Amino acid sequence: MRKQECVAMLLAGGQGSRLGGLTRIRAKPAVSFCGKYRIIDFTLSNCSNSNINTVGVLIQYKPFLLNSYIGLGSAWDLDNPYGGVHILPPFLGEKAGSWYNGTANAVYQNNQFIDFYDPEYVIVLSGDHVYKMDYTLMLKFHKEKNSDITIATLEVPWEEASRFGILSVDEDKRITKFTEKPLEPSSNLASMGVYIFNWSILKQALIADAGDSQSQNDFGQNIIPQQLKQGKRVYAYKFEGYWRDVGTIESYYQANMESLRAGHFLNIFDPKFRIFSNEDILPPHFVGSTAEINNSLVCNGCIVHGKVINSILAPGVFVGKGVQIEDSILLPNVKVHDGSVIVKTIVGENAEIMRHCRIGVEGLLAPKQEGITVIEDNHLVPEGSIIEAGNNV
Amino acid sequence: MSNAIGIIYANTATDSLQGLALERPIAAVPFGGRYRILDFALSSMVNSGIRTIGLVTPHHYRPLLDHLGAGKAWFLDRKDGGLFILPGVFHGLGGNHTFCIKDLQNNMEYLDKDFAENVVISSGDQIFNINFKQALEVHDDKNADVTLIYKEMDNSGELTNEMFFDMDKDQKVSNIQDKKVPGRIKIVQPYFVNMLIIRREILSNILEKYSSIGCMDLIDILIANLEVLKIYGSPTCSLIGTIRTVKDYFDRSMDLLDLGVRGKLWLGADHIHTKIKDNPPTQYTSQAKVSNSLIASGCTIAGEVVNSIIFRGVILEQGCKIKNSIILPKCHIHANAQTDYAILDKSVKVNGENVLKGSSDHPLVVLKRTVI
Repeated sequence: MRKQECVAMLLAGGQGSRLGGLTRIRAKPAVSFCGKYRIIDFTLSNCSNSNINTVGVLIQYKPFLLNSYIGLGSAWDLDNPYGGVHILPPFLGEKAGSWYNGTANAVYQNNQFIDFYDPEYVIVLSGDHVYKMDYTLMLKFHKEKNSDITIATLEVPWEEASRFGILSVDEDKRITKFTEKPLEPSSNLASMGVYIFNWSILKQALIADAGDSQSQNDFGQNIIPQQLKQGKRVYAYKFEGYWRDVGTIESYYQANMESLRAGHFLNIFDPKFRIFSNEDILPPHFVGSTAEINNSLVCNGCIVHGKVINSILAPGVFVGKGVQIEDSILLPNVKVHDGSVIVKTIVGENAEIMRHCRIGVEGLLAPKQEGITVIEDNHLVPEGSIIEAGNNV
Repeated sequence: MSNAIGIIYANTATDSLQGLALERPIAAVPFGGRYRILDFALSSMVNSGIRTIGLVTPHHYRPLLDHLGAGKAWFLDRKDGGLFILPGVFHGLGGNHTFCIKDLQNNMEYLDKDFAENVVISSGDQIFNINFKQALEVHDDKNADVTLIYKEMDNSGELTNEMFFDMDKDQKVSNIQDKKVPGRIKIVQPYFVNMLIIRREILSNILEKYSSIGCMDLIDILIANLEVLKIYGSPTCSLIGTIRTVKDYFDRSMDLLDLGVRGKLWLGADHIHTKIKDNPPTQYTSQAKVSNSLIASGCTIAGEVVNSIIFRGVILEQGCKIKNSIILPKCHIHANAQTDYAILDKSVKVNGENVLKGSSDHPLVVLKRTVI
């Protein structure tokens, strides 16, 4: 063990119920993204690229696939003898134990873990955003401002501002007001859910919060407003760069599809700030003589005999002859057999679509979720099925 | 615990691979979109439960070590066993041995230090995915001193340098025909595929006994001692081929476009491992036209690709035409350039409108980092 300057606490225990079929068997951070990645790759790669090598991953909801994916963290170069990745599930104490009850409570229950590394700073991260960020710059800002708490913020479009935690700041970037999901936002500076705390301040705040039976034990709802009220030095760090929320089917779909556009491709795949992932080593993908691939991303291990347009094929996908795939996202190891047509659909991992199915066809009613169809992980769609757009199967 | 350790001769050199083996041993030549030839021997051993592997390195070993690192991608970064680098002897002209014993005599400690009963020895210039468990079982069942891995000759491939042998009903090798004997008849007969299992102590004894002789081939010693040693054969059908010449390289690469070959090599339970580069997925633009090809990750494809193998991180601009070609990592083909029967080594840049043409018998090889 060695004293660390900054320890990261990564909140990865949420269910992500708004992703429906994609989180039925796995936690949201373990959902596949942009072909070969999983959502948590971005946060872990950010840590790695920012020289933060002690990361506590707080898990709770269906953790097996997430845990096995993270392993020792070696895929992100985080297997470090003096720190490394620690999976932190809820646990029993001498008298009692409890589930993590809110984000702040999860960190509170693991205060011993943080004390073990005796850090100056704790950075709280969430495992369900896709973004590329150098935390060292934010930490530098935190030190320069002699801040107690620093919140990473980002300018969002005004019309969307009421979906976020909105901050008002003075000219020194000190936060004057923080409102979670305001109906009438007074600014468009949104919290990204990334916080740097002085550990001494955070520890006090967590202890106070744990004693408050009215509290929901949430960072955004309770800890931050409470600390502001107490007059702590809370500053807003302005982040500029790639950041996407993938909390809903719609935003997940859009964020994936964006990567097909040339400019965005570089945003995600810029070699100077690499995103690592724990990939299986698969052979190059094979494109058959009847295949046609346009404006798409294709990963290793795929076998393509059909037509693929504006789509993303994750590793190990099979596309049979006469298949047509358009505006869709096929997650790892999906099999689509001969003659099926798939339009604007997210097909879950290991799902199998038998011959001559038609998925994402226009129905009589106006479709839900922007017309995006979702096939659940491991689902088998029988031969000749017809599934209307906007359905969740 | 596995009862075998491995030795891979990664120092086989050749003059017939033209530029491809100029700065690297055959073992380090890139193959199949994302691998190097050595990966096949290394992964086969690891998949067979062998956790201690010694690698006989050639003079030019930088590309090998660059690729291997501590052996992590093959799970060989271990406390118990792992990857061992065995510096090979510097061979002058005419050092045309398969398993030169001098290379091992210089590394006796590797053999003496271990407790394993057997040693699996393989050359590092072949494309295969063989699980040695079966051969190790044969070796144990027969209580053999040496087990030679063979393939039935099928009259399809061109065999030039192979060593044939006869076996009795019990799979015991009764006669080995030296490859140097001319005028042998072409019938269906097992031939040796440069992989064998030998008892560790017997190998140590041989190395000691022949220590006064400079460079001698282990195979020749086995032939000379055929009467004394119990030598058996064990079959395999998962050998794709040996890479010695440009034609070999080209043909074996193109074999990968065949589902049967890919099935044996890649689609079974045993995976071939290689160094991970964490490349993004390959991006196809709306102008891309690809058919019957293997494409690795991290490429950007805007041109036409037919019957070709494209390695990692290749950029093919709009209007370029890649036919029957092998494009190694990080090549950049500019707009409207064409290649046919060409092998482009790493980081070759082909400027717009150029046409590179070879033939199926003589594929054109373009050297590393050439700008055309």
